[in-house]
Amino acid sequence: MNKENVFEQLEHIVGKDFVSNREEDLYIYSQDPGASLPRHVDFVVMPENVEEVQKIVKLANQEKVPVIPMGGGLTLSGLIIPVKGGIVMDMKRMNSIIEINALSKYALIEAGVTTGQLLSFLNENYPNLQPPVPDAPPSATIAGNVLIHGSGYLSQKYGNHGAMINGLEVVLPNGDICKMGSCAVSKYWFARGPIPDLIGLFISSFGTMGIVTKLSVQLFDKPKFREVVFGLLNDPNDIPNILLKITETGLAEDVLIGMQDKPDWMKGYVFIIAYVTGESQEEIDSHIKIFKRIYRKAKARYMKTAERIRKVYLEKPIFAAAAADYRKGGGFEYVGANMPLENLPEAYKKGAEISKRYGIVPTLGSRLIGGTHNIVMFFSYSFNRADPKDMENAREALHETNKLALELGGIPWKAELSGQQLILKKMDPNYKKLFNTIRSILDPNHIMNPGNWEVK
Amino acid sequence: MGGEIKITINSEQDWKDIVHRCFRCGYCKFTQNFSDFNCPSYRKFKFETYSTGGRMWLIYGIINGEIQWNSGIANVLYACSTCGNCIENCRFDKFNDFLVDFIEAARVEAVNNGFCPEKQKVLLERTENREMFNPYGEINSNNEELKSKYNLPDNAEWVYFIGCTSNYRQKNLRDATLNFLKKAKIDFTLIDEHCCCSPIIRTGQTKPVKDFMNYNLAQIKNTGAMKVITSCAGCYRTLKKDWSKFETDLGIEIFHTIELVKKLLDEEKIKFKSEYNKKVTYHDPCHLGRHMGVYEIPREVLKQIPGVELVEMKRNRENAWCCGAGGGVKIGYPEWAVEISGERLEEAKQTGASEITSVCPFCRTNLSDANQKYSMNFEIIDIIEIFDKLDYEIVD
Ligand SMILES: Cc1cc2nc3c(=O)[nH]c(=O)nc-3n(C[C@H](O)[C@H](O)[C@H](O)COP(=O)(O)OP(=O)(O)OC[C@H]3O[C@@H](n4cnc5c(N)ncnc54)[C@H](O)[C@@H]3O)c2cc1C
Ligand code: SF4
Ligand code: SF4
Repeated sequence: MNKENVFEQLEHIVGKDFVSNREEDLYIYSQDPGASLPRHVDFVVMPENVEEVQKIVKLANQEKVPVIPMGGGLTLSGLIIPVKGGIVMDMKRMNSIIEINALSKYALIEAGVTTGQLLSFLNENYPNLQPPVPDAPPSATIAGNVLIHGSGYLSQKYGNHGAMINGLEVVLPNGDICKMGSCAVSKYWFARGPIPDLIGLFISSFGTMGIVTKLSVQLFDKPKFREVVFGLLNDPNDIPNILLKITETGLAEDVLIGMQDKPDWMKGYVFIIAYVTGESQEEIDSHIKIFKRIYRKAKARYMKTAERIRKVYLEKPIFAAAAADYRKGGGFEYVGANMPLENLPEAYKKGAEISKRYGIVPTLGSRLIGGTHNIVMFFSYSFNRADPKDMENAREALHETNKLALELGGIPWKAELSGQQLILKKMDPNYKKLFNTIRSILDPNHIMNPGNWEVK
Repeated sequence: MGGEIKITINSEQDWKDIVHRCFRCGYCKFTQNFSDFNCPSYRKFKFETYSTGGRMWLIYGIINGEIQWNSGIANVLYACSTCGNCIENCRFDKFNDFLVDFIEAARVEAVNNGFCPEKQKVLLERTENREMFNPYGEINSNNEELKSKYNLPDNAEWVYFIGCTSNYRQKNLRDATLNFLKKAKIDFTLIDEHCCCSPIIRTGQTKPVKDFMNYNLAQIKNTGAMKVITSCAGCYRTLKKDWSKFETDLGIEIFHTIELVKKLLDEEKIKFKSEYNKKVTYHDPCHLGRHMGVYEIPREVLKQIPGVELVEMKRNRENAWCCGAGGGVKIGYPEWAVEISGERLEEAKQTGASEITSVCPFCRTNLSDANQKYSMNFEIIDIIEIFDKLDYEIVD
């Protein structure tokens, strides 16, 4: 790579203000808020439209320089920190909400639209519709989130966010612009099929298959009333039963479980947090009654909560960052593993053991994704960024947790480099081969976020 | 009167020990409902480096030696209007209050390491200049002329601390304040004031601040006054919040003019004899609003002026969009500063108001510059200037 030439070309493509190789910018983009060590970045670039993205990708191919697409950069697992240097492509200037289709219920947006932006836009203009958003801070992009099999408070009812993609516009590694989903055939971005479904190639592949510039995501009706019903279990072994009982009702919008040793009053319990929705307060009240009954039968206690706590739970995005601040050290990362229900009790017990072994207060949680079809389990580790040993400790705990998840039949989600390697080690060799073949055809120069999902 | 003062860093709590608590999660970039980015710096420069979190991480990078001072880092630290939007939106309690303090403390380090940008250096040079004592480079006015024009005594209950912007750039605002105080029969006087030091504090050039403060305090005390009134949001913040970092008990009470107006209205001492039939909006100065928690008083005053129709801009109070002048941005990045105000004027336009009111001469200056640059035809006016246009009587 001729660095000077690349820089000049990038300036030519996006304009001087939107490309940087300044030390301070590279320093910031060489790290994320998780526990990964910093890695070298050569350039940061912020394209404004698909043509600019296309030109950058073509340049990268010509100069054989890596390109790493970045949304909010909030996965915590270093997925937007280059492994082999190169260009970090910050998508935030592509932030148009192009269309809200209130009949087919989708939002057509550019890749830089943040979850906060779409949420707020809908609240103001389409108060009856809600987007799929994670509990992540609002600067996470919708694209970044759906492209990693994200999940949120609609997931128990409707599945993971990757499944809510109707269509994509992608700049492929060779610079071609490709439309996928119904938009490949129709002017409406209303559905994913019925044509061969290649959208999956772009999900959880961490930017290795191309750069998504536009996407259509499904929107959902917003219930008029929403309430949170708390329950307490004493024994993690009872988790599968209560989750089955809850999902059998078909009434829960979102179900979370939590087990943590701090604050002290939470120690020794498994918390069940179920969200019920309804058209009226009477409906909500009757749902709460049903849940109280289920809790009782499933050895759980219904827990009445203070108004303040109830409010915090009903306004989830605010709640999310607080968990990252437990240690007041600015560092937080979690293993989010997708787990089969049968091994969840074991995951809780062994997860707590790992935390204790590493001197970290056990903070475990999970969320149902599409009933009990899949459960995403969080093993959270906050650490002190100012203490390199503490960060190293967190990295080791994360690695051991990834191993545990795989042992229990689960799969680490949005895994960092070492986690990806653990997954690849267990992966069906022919799946690996297929993935690699497709990748090499699409990206013969290996410019797209190389180092991720690297089959060795 | 006035709002709650936010905590500032004190000597027991070394900012260097807590700045790494920033998680770079980015709540600080937004408005309260996340509709858009509300950090003027991030909105303009867009790189993560220019978010509050980016600044916190750079500051920490310098502290732990991962990155060394250079002019680029200094530029990032100075490209912030100290508007305080981040303070409102960061979710980490007992950390968020300090965000602007961190930036200002890091600017002190920039200065100590020889990285104060040239344009901002001028603020200190002029302020320290013995013929000026103000950041505008004007010959110091000892205010004797004004004292005799308004027939003010040497000793009084109150001192009107005019502030450099009102005294050298927004004289109409100053005169309107003087007229109001006279009419209200306030027993007040003026001093030969030197800069309150807001511009140099905000830009990290803090060396002479204590001397300036002591000088001003001595001048105030010479008059026998125990109360100081100012018409400037920047002076108000500085006197009330920054000076007390140097001297825990200043021995004086500090008020913004608008607080006095409100008090007189509450006591039903102002009898209006004319109306101000205008649709107006109110711009919250960051140094009065987010920095000092004063949001409602100016609005309540406006609502009590007969004829005034007050309409709110979309972003108001804690959520207000900054005018762009503060934190050394006006002098350091003059075009960008006006651009920021331009955005405010666009927002004001959507309200249908013909006038933008505020209670800060510095906001008034920058909003007026944008009004001119973008040919927006607003009347930019301080609330006290509205009183100057009205017929009213103060009753005992
Ligand atoms: C406190 C906290 C709570 C969280 N809670 C949740 C939660 O409840 N649910 C959840 O799902 N996640 C959660 N997350 C994880 C994560 O923040 C989110 O999933 C987030 O939405 C990721 O989006 P992003 O824009 O930050 O993506 P990024 O980190 O920027 O990108 C994610 C991946 O997608 C790739 N990518 C990004 N944009 C493009 C594009 N345009 N084209 C191609 N590839 C692209 C990147 O290269 C990267 O590999 C949480 C994170 C934090 C910090
Ligand atoms: S300043 Fe606060 S809100 Fe902003 S990134 Fe840091 S911790 Fe998050
Ligand atoms: S004070 Fe204002 S400009 Fe400065 S970082 Fe905070 S929000 Fe941005």
